[in-house]
Amino acid sequence: MTEFSPFSAVIGQPFMQRALVGGLLTGALGGLLGSFAVLRQLSFFSDALGHSALLGISLGILLGLNPTLVLIPFAVLFALLVNLLVQRSQLPTDALLNIVYSTSLAFAVVALSLVTTYKGGIQQLLFGDILGISWLDLALIAVLLMAAVAYLLVSLRAQVLVTLHADLAGAFGVGSQWHRIAFILLLAVVVAVSIKAVGVLLISAFVVIPACASRLVSRRFGTYLVLSSVIGGGCAVLGLLGSGLTNLPSGPCVVIVQFFGFLLALLWSLRGRPQRLRAKPAVTS
Amino acid sequence: MAVLEVEGLRVVRDGVLAVDDVSFQLAAESDTALVGPNGAGKSSLVGAILGLIPRQAGEVRILGHRLGPAGQLPAQVRAQLAFLPQALPLQGRLPLTVAEFVGFGWDPPGPRLPWSGGGARRSAVHSALAKTGCGPLAERLLSELSGGQLKRVLLAFCVVRPRRLLVLDEAQAGLDAPSTEQFHSLLFDLRRSEGWTVLQVSHDLDMVRRSCDQVLCLNRQLRCSGHPELALSRAQLERLYDPADLPSHPRRQAPMGRPRIG
Repeated sequence: MTEFSPFSAVIGQPFMQRALVGGLLTGALGGLLGSFAVLRQLSFFSDALGHSALLGISLGILLGLNPTLVLIPFAVLFALLVNLLVQRSQLPTDALLNIVYSTSLAFAVVALSLVTTYKGGIQQLLFGDILGISWLDLALIAVLLMAAVAYLLVSLRAQVLVTLHADLAGAFGVGSQWHRIAFILLLAVVVAVSIKAVGVLLISAFVVIPACASRLVSRRFGTYLVLSSVIGGGCAVLGLLGSGLTNLPSGPCVVIVQFFGFLLALLWSLRGRPQRLRAKPAVTS
Repeated sequence: MAVLEVEGLRVVRDGVLAVDDVSFQLAAESDTALVGPNGAGKSSLVGAILGLIPRQAGEVRILGHRLGPAGQLPAQVRAQLAFLPQALPLQGRLPLTVAEFVGFGWDPPGPRLPWSGGGARRSAVHSALAKTGCGPLAERLLSELSGGQLKRVLLAFCVVRPRRLLVLDEAQAGLDAPSTEQFHSLLFDLRRSEGWTVLQVSHDLDMVRRSCDQVLCLNRQLRCSGHPELALSRAQLERLYDPADLPSHPRRQAPMGRPRIG
């Protein structure tokens, strides 16, 4: 008689195998885009996009359309409008995004309350259902990951210069505005596609935490990009395995593992800091 | 052939006429200073020349090629143009080493894989860092550099590939006196060795007198131009600046081609 360990029992399930591949791809994708989103101070923008996705899903359900099909064009349109609003308005960006995401959430909840036929739970929308991910979803995420890698690789010089100094980039032949919008659109599509697995409330963690952890320990830009993707994908796999073994919710488990990864990176980055502080000259009055 | 030709340039920014009917030419390998009071339109003029902001009228030609209305230039012309900003305010955000940054200066405009160029790229970066005295800084992060070191690294970014025209927007801003001297000394050497034509926005009239061949005095319109000793006479300065903002009388110094190293 063959005995199965709890670990083999978890990874032996087809839905878990799909979830692990989905987690790996989504985590790597979030980490990769997050590495630029964090540097360009778009963390809050990805959060607003996540909340707006709930509005897109709600409108799809209300209109009797497939929410997944509605979500991508909705997220793209929403990202363009918010970008325009941020550029044209003289209000601080974080305040504007706060207005946008809280209003989106309010409209989404009102729209969902009007729907009587929706079988999915609000819990599933908020925290995602990575265990319910299909092969079609996986294929879509894989294609998106390849497209993101290809775009960021061939435009790496442009992305770095645009992040560093828009005028410097422009003077050296980089269309700053074009690359800025292209990146925002890519981020919107990634958020829209990942929402089903990750959920509205946790999507920004997938974008922000791996990139911040990587930023703390990287001393080269290439390392930063690769490490951000590896941390994103690795934490997703570990979190899902932990979730399978402990029967705890999968999305939150992934985010908790990401947080511990961030703490490790923080501790690593603080090594030797006290010596440097001691080396500073004493302050005299 | 002039490296830069500007004719009848007019720029409106935020509904305000910033540059009006400005025309001038830069001869090859000349060093020209653009001076004028704050709000005179110097940055707008530089932005319009680089194609960063639209112009309402006039023509800009760089190396004989007309700058398009949306700043378009043929890639091979754009690659010969370099710009040095006042600072890189976001440099602390990026985990970017000096060598990585200078390598991006070598890459020509347009899409390309980051590892293409291989040995030629590494060799050009090494050479640019050596020319600017930045060799020991190669593996340092941009965020770890002092103001003076960052300016030298920016010059390495420009010199990593052959250029013809270098535009500097108050490049010495934020530097102390010795660092300013060192920066201008390095710029002078590179201009000579690389054959650069330089256009630099500056408020340092002493430096302009000592090291520039030509000066353009701007206060929305071109108020005067020519050799610094003539164009920056007391009478011309009084026409250019508000009396309250008028710089103090220039220190008399022996004319020199090269600033002192502090």
